[in-house]
Amino acid sequence: MKSKIEWCPGCGNFGILKAFRRVIERLESEGVKRGRIVSVAGIGCHGRMPDYLDIPTFHTIHGRVLPLMTGIKLANPELLVSGFSGDGDALNEGMEHFIHAAKRNTDVALFLHNNQVFGLTTGQFTATTPRGKKTRTTPAGNPEWPINPALIALVSGATFIARGFAGNVSQLSDLMYDAIKHRGFAFVEILQPCITFNNTWDYYRENVYVAEPAESFDEALKLVSDGVATGLLFRTEKQTFEETLLNSLRVPKKSCERDMRSREFHSDP
Amino acid sequence: MDLNVCIVGAAGDGVKEAGELAAELFAHFGYSVFVYQEYQSIIRGGHNASIVRMSDREINSHRKYFDLMICLEDYAYELYRPYLRGDLIYDTKFKCGGIGIPMTEIIKEEQEPNIFRNAASLGALAAYLDIEFDILERIFSDRFGARAKDDITIAKAAYEYYRSRYDPKMRLEKIGRRKKLVSGAVAIAEGLISAGLTHFYAYPMTPASPILHYLIKKREIVAYQPESEIAAVGMAIGSAYAGKRSATGTSGGGFALMAESISLAGMAEIPLLVIEAQRTSPSTGMATYHGQEDLYFAMHPAHGEFPMAVACPYSVEEAFYLSAELMNIAWKYQIPAILLTDKNLVESYKTAEIERTNLIEEIEIVKSSEGEYMRYEVTESGISKYAVPPAIVKANSNEHDEFGITTDDASVRTQMHEKRMLKENLLREDIRDRAWKFFLKGKDTIVTWGSTFGPVYEVAEELGYRVAVPRYLRPFIKPGLAHAVVVEQNYTGQLAKLLEMHGVEVKRVNKWDGRPFTPDELRELLG
Repeated sequence: MKSKIEWCPGCGNFGILKAFRRVIERLESEGVKRGRIVSVAGIGCHGRMPDYLDIPTFHTIHGRVLPLMTGIKLANPELLVSGFSGDGDALNEGMEHFIHAAKRNTDVALFLHNNQVFGLTTGQFTATTPRGKKTRTTPAGNPEWPINPALIALVSGATFIARGFAGNVSQLSDLMYDAIKHRGFAFVEILQPCITFNNTWDYYRENVYVAEPAESFDEALKLVSDGVATGLLFRTEKQTFEETLLNSLRVPKKSCERDMRSREFHSDP
Repeated sequence: MDLNVCIVGAAGDGVKEAGELAAELFAHFGYSVFVYQEYQSIIRGGHNASIVRMSDREINSHRKYFDLMICLEDYAYELYRPYLRGDLIYDTKFKCGGIGIPMTEIIKEEQEPNIFRNAASLGALAAYLDIEFDILERIFSDRFGARAKDDITIAKAAYEYYRSRYDPKMRLEKIGRRKKLVSGAVAIAEGLISAGLTHFYAYPMTPASPILHYLIKKREIVAYQPESEIAAVGMAIGSAYAGKRSATGTSGGGFALMAESISLAGMAEIPLLVIEAQRTSPSTGMATYHGQEDLYFAMHPAHGEFPMAVACPYSVEEAFYLSAELMNIAWKYQIPAILLTDKNLVESYKTAEIERTNLIEEIEIVKSSEGEYMRYEVTESGISKYAVPPAIVKANSNEHDEFGITTDDASVRTQMHEKRMLKENLLREDIRDRAWKFFLKGKDTIVTWGSTFGPVYEVAEELGYRVAVPRYLRPFIKPGLAHAVVVEQNYTGQLAKLLEMHGVEVKRVNKWDGRPFTPDELRELLG
């Protein structure tokens, strides 16, 4: 099932793929079968991820990564559900789902490939494109101010907020791993250069730094606003959506209870 | 015996509940009952009507003219008066001729809020029909348990008031065992549960909401209201991918939002069940009124070619069985399936025998995580074996190869698209014998669909027509008809046009005022 990788040479996605493959290996080494690690992806350059991963995947339509992840997790809480989404995918078409998934603290991990541009459709502006930037559809410069995705995740109620950089694979892999382990809505913004339409390699290499996680929500507001701060930015604990919903029902919820007792993943039953 | 009772008042007067309880009362005596709920998109005020019809023969509709009207507001009285052909029971707080009951005074004496006048109206109804009060008391207790005390006191006061001043107008005799009363919404929900539903996601939209309200109370079902219809259908697809029988329900506007995801389910071959409960359209239309305008939309809801099933129940009982049947079809063929219904069916109540039972047709599901799984294996039938995680199963909205890997290879595309499309032919043969239902004998045939069957059947029986009703609209099976009278609730004659396309000569009988046909109206149009 090996597919030829079809990203532009030099694309930030290579680093993200490498980092996630390490996560799969790490989970497997802990006894988690690959079949339990499920990933969803949306539309955009990131959407090719499923083709390159030997795990159960669902390549869905534009903006709809999170509803699918939520449906999968509710159907089988034993699965470790993560999703890949682009800035256009999650924050243009998918914004309602992004805010609501954070709000309900659904127990999934979302990895946002943020390259600040629509790559696959050849260079139009997205929700995160900097103001003034000339793109194919903003020839006079982007008239809008960009959205800070980590800030939206924080104020919407996400309980794990991190930022990684496609050029720092080992840090990114650790963040992804921790995000999957986290109980609740985990969000990892990945600073991803688009070599063709928004080459930020040099800028990020010079400017990103590793921050210490914020101790309080107010501190976190400040920290996530700094778009080049990487690492775990804020983490808190709340009952997850699945625990809340499934505990009130007479339906299987084994894994929720098990995870509540212990942070560690158990090997497959 | 055939009695058509209309209870009218403002929203907030408890008219809907009074109608349901009156229906329970008639069902207790073994009659067949049908309740049509007419209400506006207003929470308080306006005018609501609950039309409760009972008969000693099987009925599936209300009648246009009322044998008895129970009226709680004078302006509502003015609106519904043209249809009154019998007695009037009214609250003496306003003046009009008839049987006056001081409902407002009674509730004031008991220090209860205005809504309790609905209990008073039921007390008066019981006295009018010469029913022993104990029976009404039991109806209240069955419904409200210990909370029924106040209703009973008020109903009793109205009952005694009636008996002290008026004579009963008829005596209701028990003609059989107590019948159960079911709404179309409950029939649909129970049908889905019988076919293995475990996950239901829906965003509120009239008239589909009662299905969500019912399922959300079931502790063995994961039912949830997410942020939008788009989220609801996405979650249903996610749960089906993970191996659980799921569904979503909405009306036309919400269904429009789901279109893109229905196409996704078609490409990814995910079993998806969507309930589309039609109301008056286009756009917001008249949100709480009836219509049958979405036939083509439901048949072709989304971009691209993919196999699909669309089925339409014509009665409350049928809603139960067809929902289950359609869920099984969605899973057997791994396709989107649309249950196309309408306001008059979903929100109406009827005496019907519906027993939850196991109607699941199991399919083989691969769950082994050994090796790489060919989820989209090309087979002779077009059906590949379903697999769910922990199997390494790759679902894909892009065109894909047998493993689910994205491709735009011309030959793979040709083969894959053909594989999917083959399933519709298979489905066509599967449903061929149950695609139509024929009733009665007659020189001419009336064709109708959905809840319009109720009034049509009744009149056809009287006028000597045969009746044909499609259960499946897609795949559409041509009925063996040369000509037909087509009765439906839209302007253009959507089913009529479909039949014309299949060479049937049609005569159209249409209505699009938001009110369901009554037998009285059809008698004039078809007689």
